[in-house]
Amino acid sequence: MNEPLTNAYYELLEEIQAVDFVLCELTLYLDTHPWDNEAVQQFNHHAHQSRQLKKQYEKQYGPLFQYGMSYSGYPWNWKEAPWPWQV
Amino acid sequence: MFSQRKFYTPYTSPTDPCPPIEVKSYETPPQLYLGFQPPCLPQYASAKEALHRGTLWPALYSPYESPYKRGDTGE
Repeated sequence: MNEPLTNAYYELLEEIQAVDFVLCELTLYLDTHPWDNEAVQQFNHHAHQSRQLKKQYEKQYGPLFQYGMSYSGYPWNWKEAPWPWQV
Repeated sequence: MFSQRKFYTPYTSPTDPCPPIEVKSYETPPQLYLGFQPPCLPQYASAKEALHRGTLWPALYSPYESPYKRGDTGE
């Protein structure tokens, strides 16, 4: 797993980052606007989308999270490069 | 050019120990004037743009212009 990261890798990662940013913004917004139905629907839509993107990422590039938040490859490979700061 | 940075000139006294700072400035982001955010504000079209802008709503967009790069002498 030492070949350099492809463009597609970074694009997918940025997409995940963008969706998670929207979720973060909506979380803060909904804290003060719990009755805003449109925002809740948007939040659930993005939550689903985020889950899909992460599943897609993990299928190609390995686990994103630990402690059961992600499935593991075989053999146990969460410690493989690249680490987050190397990405 | 519209900017959220505002300028003022502090009083400088002849007895100031250090060389005076002639012009000082501060940022005035939109949330200062917004109060309680109304629902259904228009949002950026794509999540990626929202990420690059740093907010989901154009009304709250606040680019930080460094006073040092721009030269902090207001128009």
